[in-house]
Amino acid sequence: MTEFDFPGLVTPTAGEGVQKGSAGNSRALFSLTLFRTVAPLLPYFIFISVFLGIPTVVLFQKASQPIDGSTTSALSMAMQDQYRASFEYSIKLAATSALIGAIFGTLLALAITRIDRPRQLRNFFTGFSGVAANMGGIPLAFAFIATLGAQGLLTRILFHWGIDLYGSGFKIYNFWGIVIVYLYFQIPLMVLIMLPSIDGLRSTWREAASNLGASPAHYWRKIGLPLLAPSLMGGAVLLFANAFSAYATAYALASGAGRLIPVQIRFYLQGNTITGMGNLGYAMAAWMIIIEAIAIIIYLVLRRRSERWIKR
Amino acid sequence: MKRRPHIWEWTVISIALVFFFFPLLAMTRFALQRVPMALLGRDTLFSRWTIDGVVDIINNDKFVSSLWLSTRLGVLTALVLIALMLPTVLWLHLRVPQWRMLIETLSLLPYVVPPIALVVGVSGAFRESFPWIVTSNYGLVPLYVVLCLPFAFRTLDAGVGALDLRTLVDASSSLGATTLTTLRKVLVPNLWGALASTSFLGFAVVLGEFAISSLLLKPTLPMYMVEAQGQEPQGAMALGLLMMMFTTGLFFGIGRLQKRSTTRLALTEDK
Repeated sequence: MTEFDFPGLVTPTAGEGVQKGSAGNSRALFSLTLFRTVAPLLPYFIFISVFLGIPTVVLFQKASQPIDGSTTSALSMAMQDQYRASFEYSIKLAATSALIGAIFGTLLALAITRIDRPRQLRNFFTGFSGVAANMGGIPLAFAFIATLGAQGLLTRILFHWGIDLYGSGFKIYNFWGIVIVYLYFQIPLMVLIMLPSIDGLRSTWREAASNLGASPAHYWRKIGLPLLAPSLMGGAVLLFANAFSAYATAYALASGAGRLIPVQIRFYLQGNTITGMGNLGYAMAAWMIIIEAIAIIIYLVLRRRSERWIKR
Repeated sequence: MKRRPHIWEWTVISIALVFFFFPLLAMTRFALQRVPMALLGRDTLFSRWTIDGVVDIINNDKFVSSLWLSTRLGVLTALVLIALMLPTVLWLHLRVPQWRMLIETLSLLPYVVPPIALVVGVSGAFRESFPWIVTSNYGLVPLYVVLCLPFAFRTLDAGVGALDLRTLVDASSSLGATTLTTLRKVLVPNLWGALASTSFLGFAVVLGEFAISSLLLKPTLPMYMVEAQGQEPQGAMALGLLMMMFTTGLFFGIGRLQKRSTTRLALTEDK
């Protein structure tokens, strides 16, 4: 561990040499010290540059090139006509599932904090949320095919009761079907986001409000909701980002078809050599990154606001 | 004070319970019961329950090889993840705390680049210059490590932050231990909980990952599940159910580990 004391050894050497030549010497020593400080971090920086930095730069570079036989860049092409419709569909789907997930997740988080018996209820729901928020992918799609697929258990039970889901146009791989499936991980994620904020609402504030003559509704409108608002909106934005990047579940629900952007990207990249439309896949991926980046930045800003009340 | 009946609370909780558990129930039925949907009724509800579907899938060669591939990838990813992140986090706490902002922000970048965009970028950048990463099964490992960076940083950072790192390292080196000995005999045993959580989470991510392996056409476990969906629906359902149970177990295990490692820390602080 003695090597760590190196900076301490540098100062006397640099101080002794008042002559001209030592300036370069101390600079060399300084850069050596800097190197020793940075060296252990190099693997991390190099890894991120190679596997995250370079791919992103290449992605944007390819996305800004024109598609064969046209002058517009793939990036602007991806925002036209049917491609634009795909983006609108994906964004609408992610936003819908985020909105419903945020509202219901908040209600559920409120419900489990307001009930104190049975004691285990809250522990159960937080434990379950930790698992379900990470549930996704292929098994989740299977569970909902078993439930709401054309031959699903719930579909058949409803049919037995005289409600013909598929006759009325519902399909598990259509808009509302995917929204329902996504809620399975969106609601638990929102519960996990909201619980700390709800715990941060102190009972003294409620008591103070009611001493001043506020009804419960009044308290929620004037104090509770405004305090929860930043984490509520931040949570909704995070849920949006979460749903927008999801791929596996939607893919398995529709057996590889579908209008969602990630599924479309796969289509254009595998048709790469034949159609010369490969750059379009890159452009769609680039737009995904842009949209995700905007969402994450909004989330970070809102989180900073909500932390003001959680802490202390 | 009077006890309120909590009507809306229980309504919300009941809806949640049905929404979260009915699909698991339906999945169990499809995995374990061999009665066509059209014939399912009050008389047939309890007939022909069997684990044949599960047995069939376990005996399937393709399942075994995909499970083996995903397991190897999971273990490798966990190892690379630890080897990359543990020194980084330790160095951050010991020598360059002023760099926290940079290191943490970098670890969160995978949230901005979705897996599908990541794999598109990687194959675009390296397909010609360095094809191994696209062609070899093991080329998936670095991409999976990228996916794991956000939680790996957070878990290890919390674990290291809970230690009195300075004292441990100084005490160990003043007793004559080399850096490697300190790492092996002092730091790793103290960070056991954080290291195990990181590895398990990494393993769980790899076992369920689909977007990347689907674009690179690698025969991993989730890829096999999609394939089996068409050929052997009952087996595929059973596999999905097993996978959910396994992930749930893994997550509860991680929760336990984290709780235990914090109580152990509390004990050592008492001394």
